[in-house]
Amino acid sequence: MSSRQRTTIIFLSLLMLVLFSSSSYAIPAFSRQYGTSCSTCHIDFPKLNDFGKAFKDAGFKFPKDDETFIKVPPVLLGAPAQKDLWPHTIWPGSIPGLPPIGLRYNHFFQVVSKNRNAFNAQIPGDPTAPFIPRTDFQPGLFSIFMAGNFGSDIAFWVDDDISVGGGPDGGLGDGYLKFVNIGRFLKLPTDALSLRVGQFELDLPFSPARSWNLSGWDIYDQTNIGAPGQNVNNNFALSSAAQGIEFSGGHQYGGYHYSLAIVNQNTSGNAAAPANISPVTTFVSDSNFKDLYARFSYRFNLERDPASRNEIQAAGATGPRDHTYLSLGTLYFYGRSVQRAGGVEPDGVTQTVITAREPFYRVGADFSFNYRTFNLFGQFLEGRDHNLIPLTPTGFTLPIGFIRSNPAKFSGGFIEADYLALPWMMTIMRWDVVNSSADRINGIGADASAPVAPFLSPLHSTRHRFTPGIQFLIHANIKTSFEYQIRPQQVVYEPGTNLRLTTPFRTNTAVAGLEFVY
Amino acid sequence: MKRNITAAIAIIAALSLAASAGTISGKVSGVAGESVVYVDTIQGKTFPPPTKSPVVDQKGLLFQPHITVVQTGTTVEFLNSDKVAHNVFWTNVGGNKKLGHNLGTWPQGEKRSFKFDNPGAVPLLCNVHPEMSGYIVVVPTPYSAATDKSGEYKIENVPDGSYTVTAWHEGAKNQSKPVSVSGETKADFTLSK
Repeated sequence: MSSRQRTTIIFLSLLMLVLFSSSSYAIPAFSRQYGTSCSTCHIDFPKLNDFGKAFKDAGFKFPKDDETFIKVPPVLLGAPAQKDLWPHTIWPGSIPGLPPIGLRYNHFFQVVSKNRNAFNAQIPGDPTAPFIPRTDFQPGLFSIFMAGNFGSDIAFWVDDDISVGGGPDGGLGDGYLKFVNIGRFLKLPTDALSLRVGQFELDLPFSPARSWNLSGWDIYDQTNIGAPGQNVNNNFALSSAAQGIEFSGGHQYGGYHYSLAIVNQNTSGNAAAPANISPVTTFVSDSNFKDLYARFSYRFNLERDPASRNEIQAAGATGPRDHTYLSLGTLYFYGRSVQRAGGVEPDGVTQTVITAREPFYRVGADFSFNYRTFNLFGQFLEGRDHNLIPLTPTGFTLPIGFIRSNPAKFSGGFIEADYLALPWMMTIMRWDVVNSSADRINGIGADASAPVAPFLSPLHSTRHRFTPGIQFLIHANIKTSFEYQIRPQQVVYEPGTNLRLTTPFRTNTAVAGLEFVY
Repeated sequence: MKRNITAAIAIIAALSLAASAGTISGKVSGVAGESVVYVDTIQGKTFPPPTKSPVVDQKGLLFQPHITVVQTGTTVEFLNSDKVAHNVFWTNVGGNKKLGHNLGTWPQGEKRSFKFDNPGAVPLLCNVHPEMSGYIVVVPTPYSAATDKSGEYKIENVPDGSYTVTAWHEGAKNQSKPVSVSGETKADFTLSK
């Protein structure tokens, strides 16, 4: 593959990432089951309102008297009285009366600024240089998702992208069972302890997988690739799917909420394939270590009326509505990134593989303030990876081990304001910021064929992105969205040098999306 | 003696009234489901509203019953039987948007009342469950009936006379026609949306 082709592919991949990194899901299956509108649970799908949060917390059930709301009775897999016979019978459960299937499709149109072909500065005047069109229509995701409750407070969720960008490259999103309120067996307060098992998105304050934005929040996609001289190659991002188990408790619609997850270690970005070893496709973990993720938040509902304050939705003068609230939270992720290299035993002769397990953490704080139809929220995140560099003593040709050097760090976050001007129209203003001096340094002198392509050469270590947007619900299940991304400044360097071939430029992008779920 | 005369007069009056009270029956076609047929305003006549208040329940994310027929001046009670928050409002009464009203929010098991003084269909809505739909049909006389599933209806005890009879159906255009009641009277309607 030529460097030009690679440039084009990488650039288009970037745009595709921008478009498809938010895989949002609403659940038409629940609409069918309960005979109710999407807006019972969603403000601007897939953004959840307070009732939707309670529905999710309860294991995809109405929080109270669920059975009285179901319009399609579930199929019993055993009479309830069978419980009396246990353990001499299978514990009775149920499956939804209708296949709990929802489908989703979206389509995009984008306009890229006139600087879009500035990446060709490394090959000026070449008539075969890659050309990036000004405008483009693109098919998006075609996804299937299934969710519901099997009885006994066991919830399930599976979603899969059947097609991405018109091609077949999809994959499993989340797939898990959630055992809701298992704390009742330990005489704990209601909803104090639940267990989730499978593949799932980490319990982030703001879900990238269920984001309502056309483009994802940058900080959740940030990896930590060290600068030259650092031995850090951590492809983990908080938005990555995790496999493991998660304990959680509390509620998202008021009071405390916590989660503690133990998940696979995978910092290579591929299934069991760190950058420096051959892939072993039958495993997902790339080391024996299991990563830890913890989150705690507390939401203060601020309604004056105590009765209303403690309800799932606040009682407004003209009908129920979301609470006025302030939510504060924190998150922490701890893992150990594996780096392997060819080395020698201390005898200096016997060759061996030396392994560094570099501890890393991500720590963050978040807030969300809601007043009626105005929601202001934000996230700050800091990432830090230990940097263990190979140690080659004098007289040795290969390293015998590692020593600790300057850590690789990044930080950043976002602030977003959503205003639901009308029940079918939401305006959005968002500011994303990522600070990574390594990202800037890695772009200097990079060739198009190098792992870090020049389009990623930011002018500054701090990258800002401003994204105003507006979304319209045509129906409760059909939405059209627009956003304009004012992207950070970039520059193209002469390969291998720090000589700038361009003046700083931005590849601002206007994106329109149309999607429907059914 | 006086008492006997009074009783005799009462019996005669009752018999004569019974003799002059008829029925209007017929079929509403062109639409499916329940319709409402009623005798429209009778000039110069007023009718006292019933003292009993019908109840419209919000249960299982539905207005139950879906259609309630009341006479002008009736007070209707709205109950929330669900363990979710509900709201009741309407945007118009008989198409008159100035008569729109919002009853607000109230907890499970409690009721709120409203007196309907203007005739016309009242489309009931809930602002958190937009799929919920119900109707109060406020009619100006006590002579009304809802159709069965096949569209058949029967309005009983209508005094003989000439009236305007109107058929209403959810989402359809009202149809009115003059009807002279004398004993058993037939009046069919064909509605369209």
